Parts: sequence; structure tokens; C-alpha cells
Amino acid sequence: MDREPHSGRAAESGPGPTGRNRPAVVVLCRPGNLHCLRELGAGMEEEGVPFRTEDATGGSAVELAFAAAQASNLDVGVGVDDAGSVCVHHAKLPPDMPALAGRAADARTLGHNAARLVVGIPFKDAPVRTGQ
Amino acid sequence: MSLVVGVDIGNSTTEACAAEIGEDGQVTYLSAALGRTSGVKGTTANVPGVVEVVRGALAAAGRDPADVQAVLVNEATPVISGLAMETITETIITESTMIGHNPDTPGGVGLGVGTTVAFAELPGCAPDDAVICVAGAGTDFEDVAAGINAATARGVRVAGAVVRADDANLIVNRLREPIPVVDEVTLVDRVPLGMPAAVEVAEQGRTIRTLSNSYGIATVFGLDPDQTRLIAPVARALVGNRSAVVVRTPAGDITDRRIAAGGLTLIGERAKRSVDMDAGAEEIMETLRRVQPLVDADGEPGTHVGGMLARVRDTMADLTAMPRDAVRIQDVLAVDTFVPQRVTGGLAGEFALENAVALAAMVRTSKGPMELLAARLREALGTEVLIGGVEADMALLGALTTPGTAKPVAILDLGGGSTDAAVAMEDAEVRSVHLAGAGDLVTSLIDSELGLESRELAEEIKKFPLAKAESFFHIRMEDGTVRFFDEPLPAEAFARVVVLADAGMQPIRTRHGVEKIRQVRRSAKRRVFVTNALRALEQVAPAGDIRRIGFLVVLGGAALDFEIPDMIAEAVSEFGIVSGTGNVRGCEGPRNAVATGLVARHASARATCAAVRCG
Repeated sequence: MDREPHSGRAAESGPGPTGRNRPAVVVLCRPGNLHCLRELGAGMEEEGVPFRTEDATGGSAVELAFAAAQASNLDVGVGVDDAGSVCVHHAKLPPDMPALAGRAADARTLGHNAARLVVGIPFKDAPVRTGQ
Repeated sequence: MSLVVGVDIGNSTTEACAAEIGEDGQVTYLSAALGRTSGVKGTTANVPGVVEVVRGALAAAGRDPADVQAVLVNEATPVISGLAMETITETIITESTMIGHNPDTPGGVGLGVGTTVAFAELPGCAPDDAVICVAGAGTDFEDVAAGINAATARGVRVAGAVVRADDANLIVNRLREPIPVVDEVTLVDRVPLGMPAAVEVAEQGRTIRTLSNSYGIATVFGLDPDQTRLIAPVARALVGNRSAVVVRTPAGDITDRRIAAGGLTLIGERAKRSVDMDAGAEEIMETLRRVQPLVDADGEPGTHVGGMLARVRDTMADLTAMPRDAVRIQDVLAVDTFVPQRVTGGLAGEFALENAVALAAMVRTSKGPMELLAARLREALGTEVLIGGVEADMALLGALTTPGTAKPVAILDLGGGSTDAAVAMEDAEVRSVHLAGAGDLVTSLIDSELGLESRELAEEIKKFPLAKAESFFHIRMEDGTVRFFDEPLPAEAFARVVVLADAGMQPIRTRHGVEKIRQVRRSAKRRVFVTNALRALEQVAPAGDIRRIGFLVVLGGAALDFEIPDMIAEAVSEFGIVSGTGNVRGCEGPRNAVATGLVARHASARATCAAVRCG
């Protein structure tokens, strides 16, 4: 792999505001969940929505996602907790009512859907998995 | 004073009207009630439904069922209607010539031409080869990008790519030189390899220019005029897409085939004519006009229409214990429609809009088991049950209680299975007609044209306005106004078109926009109800002249629809007649006409009796 797993191409390129002021979906993730982050990022990148990743200190996926949404100037955040739960939140929703929730295995779809929440197009269904 | 209840058993609803009748025939209406018809109209299965509405009406009036002197029931004759659809065109792609499914996010921009090669074979390509890379399931976007970059570095000209997963942008973002990439090709393994191919992706907000143009394809592949003529349908099929792939194979083609849909035989009083279903609705209706009045109809065995007509006949024969060949089809309505169908041979689940003809048919008998029904009702209710009055006459009497109406009056009853019309001229002569095609056909058209595969959802779309969920807290209605919510909307509704049904908001899981769904809904209603309203009025109007009808009262469930009455008013406005939704007794709206008519008829009959006794 010749790239950092958690850097979205769309967020890096082009002039304009930088760092925390840049419009982006914020992903708050407990350190170490690299595969999940890569898949989330891939989903958002495919939809063409910029994102940035920050390390989280603790909390549930819902709490992290809500905090991330508050920090995002696109009002959309993603939280990933130690247990592998992933949550997509919107800043205007009540804290305990996330837009979407799922498992790390669905991270690519959740990434797509976090981006779609910004773009305003209908969510994608998670691929059907067997043997669970 | 005597207490009576008029009961109208309809195809889908049973209505009751409770009233007091004085000695002089003076009627005091007390209440009305409405419930679902149990079973097929005019059969003993109706008893529970009738009992329920009679009790409902009496409860609403605060009267004791023991005081009821008579229950008046209309002469309800069973109506069976059927619907069938024949698809008459079919699109077939042979040898996987093209991919035109319009993924949400294709990658790169431009046109790439080369020979198709599997991703795994890329390292084996010679420098200067122009290739289109085909990556199957399970190939990661990083690997694909790295593989293409490596090949490009060796001098291989990778001009474009076709991939299975939704990762076109991910691949393109990692390439040193961007190329057009079409993704989400489900059956990517069937893309023919070693063939010349072209991949085109347009900029966002634009559509492809080269592959949707016959001469564009001819230029790309160096085709002669004869070959160009052959690929013209491919270009036509790709018009309007943002991305496309065309593969040049020896016999690759896309064809619009006409499917023989069988014939329909229409037997009139004087003539008998056959018409092919694939001739289209206009031709079928023209044939019907030529043989009218219709005595019977038959469809070719083995076709949908043939099966439907046989089913209608069987059901009616079972219900009325009539011999099967004594059951006659009284009317048919053909409507042109289109059905989104999966393209045969498509690689990415492409759909094409195929032409189809929908046909509604109805049979009606004069011989319902009414006496048996009346006897059962007598048992169940413990009161006298009187059968009386032809339905159309009763409906006219009831309709005339609408403020502002007078003879000559016509009624139009838009139901679920049939459209009924009747006209009463000053001389009390009543003419009535029952036509095939009503609400159920509209539902079918909406269902098939939008590819919903859910009659329930189609029914809701027919009945309720649309909106689009624009955020978690607001929706934009189809007229452009906005409605806000305190509670967040469900995630399934986000950014989707929803139908605002009574039971709540229901998301419509298609790619159609509000405008498209609205247009299909309105056009389905117009093609069925407006067509049938004019057809019915022409048949009952004196000498076929609609202008001689003074007042038109629209009744039945469809009269409560939020747009059908307006469409009908618009359609008949050119005839200079007064048209509107009925308001039976000035308070019931388009409901309860027959039940009210039964009471009115009973009262006037009593008054006549009383007068005779006095004199």
C-alpha cells in the first residue's frame, strides 16, 4: 500500500480552506481499526465527498458519531468504537437517534451512506451476506 | 312513522342510510354508514357486511334495531372484472455488445478505445497495445489501480476499464493518468475478451456524446455503412446515459423484437372481428367501436388476455351457477402502457421500457342469487328485507338529492372494477351502461409503469399526493410547498420520494423523481377514467349527444379522489354541461346515493299507497 489508509484524496487536493475549517465529514475512530477506516474512506471517496479522520479517546459509536457530526461543518459524522460498531450521525438529529448504525463489516456501505447524507441522495443497501 | 334502512351493496363498499318515513311520505334522514363489502357483490357472502353497516347506521342514529320496519336492499348483480397485460416488445442484447446501466458514480471522463483484456492478463500485454481492462469480482481497487499504473509505465495504453464493484472513482483517483471507468457491472465476467471495445464517461451533469451517436461508433470502430446500420440500435439504446461500454463482436447486436401477443376476438350483435393485441390500444378500441354493441369477447388460449377472459368467465359461472359458455364478456377497455423490463442479455441489469397493452374486461349478470341473499339477511337481521330498485335508477334518485341538480341528469359512478353511467331524461326514461376499466386498472398501470412490483404501493400512489424527503425534518410536497416535522423522519425515507398515505409516509424505492411518478399517476387516471367517462356518457346520452345532458353528478369512491373529479370536469367542460362531485342529501358527498335512492323510492311508493287508500 503506497498510501495512508485514512486520507481521502478528495480532501487533500485543491486550494481553499485547510485543516479543521475544510468542509468534510468527520470520522472519530478508536485507534487501530485500520481496515474499517479504509473501507469507510473508500465509500466516501467513491461518492466524491471529502472527509477527515480523528482519533477518539473513548465512548460508544453513537456518542463518537454525534461528536463527529458536531465537529463537521457538513454536519455529518461517523463513529467507530472498540467493539466494531459503526454509526453515522447528523448534527441536527437528537443525540440518541443516529441516522444509520451497523457493523465494521458494512463499513464500505456506511461510508457511501455518510457521503450520501451530505449529497442528499437515497442510501445504498448493505450487500446481503450469508453465514452470519 | 316508520324506521327503514336503505342498503347499497357495491363492488367494494356497502353503504347504509337510516331514515324515518312519515305517513305522508315525508322522509327524515337520520344517519349513514359505510363498510367493506364482504364477498362478491350480489352473493350470500354479503350478509356479514350488510349486518355490520345496518347496525352502524342505527347506532349512529341512536335507534334500536328492533324498531326497524324494513331493510331495503338494491338489486345487486355480481360484476366480475379482470385485468391482463401483454408485453408486445422485447429488447435483446446479443453477444454482450453494450453496457448501458447508468451507475451512480462512474469514474474519469472521456472516451477510451482498445481491446478488452482481463485484469489478470494486463502484465502480459505488449507495450503500445491499446487495451480496455476488465476487472471481476473480488479485485480490490488499490490492486486494480496499481496494476493499471504498472502497465501504463511499461508503455501499454490502458484506455479504459470496466469493473464489477462500485469503485470507479477509487480506481481513477489512484491512477497516474485518469481513464474512463464504468463500474457496477454485475455480470462483468461475461464481457467478451479480446474484442475491440469503447468506454465512454461524460462529465457530471452531461450525457455521453460518441457512443450514443451511430457515426460516433462508426468512427471509433471504422465501420462501413452496412455495419453502421446494424449498430444504430445500440447508439439509440445509449442515448441519455452518463456512461456506456460498446464491445464490437462478430454478430453483436441489440434488437427490439415484437412479441406476438395473440389475438382478441370481439363479437358484436351484427359483426365479429379479430384484432391482434400487439396492434395497440387504439386499434383494439376502434375495432370495438365497429362491432358495438359487444355481445362477447374471446382471447387466444395461452396468452395473458386469453387466460384472463377465461378466468373472468369461470369466476362468474361459479358464482351464479350459470353454464360457463352462457357467461358473456360485456365490455373491454384496452390501454397502451409500457413496462420496464430487464433487457435480455444485459450485463449490468439494464432495463428497457417495453410497450405493452393492458386490457380490462367485465361481465355482469342480471341473475344474482338475490332472493337467497334476502332470506339470509332476514334471518340475520330479524326484520323484513325488501329487494327493490334497479341500481342505476336508485343512484339517479339519490344523486338528485344533491343541491343544484335537476333532470336531465347523468351520473357517473367510478368504482374499482367498472365504470357505470346512467342518465334520466325529463320523461323519466333511464338508460344505463357498465364499462370495463376503473380504479383497479389505474393501480395496475401505475404498478407496471413504475416497475414497483407492489400493488399495495401502487394503490397508495394512486390515492395520495407525493413529496420528497429533503432532510430529516422536512419534506417538499409535489406542489412545491414544504412541511416540517418535529420528529426526525426514518432513514429509509431520506432523500426519497414518499407517498403521504393515511397510514403514514411510505418511501418509494425507485430512481424515479417526484415529477415522473406524478406524471405516470395522472396519465394512468386520464387514460382510464377520462376515456371511460366520455365513452360511458356517449353511450347513455340521447342520440349519443353529451350536450343534451344537463347535469353530470360524479359518484363512487373515485369521486373522492384528489384529482379525478377535476380531470373529468375538465374533459366534459367543452360540452357545456354542469359537472361536479355529488353531494348526496347535501351532506354525504359522493357516497350513499343508492342507499338514499332506495329510501326515497320506498317513501314515495308509500305516499302513493296512502293517497290511493284516502281516495
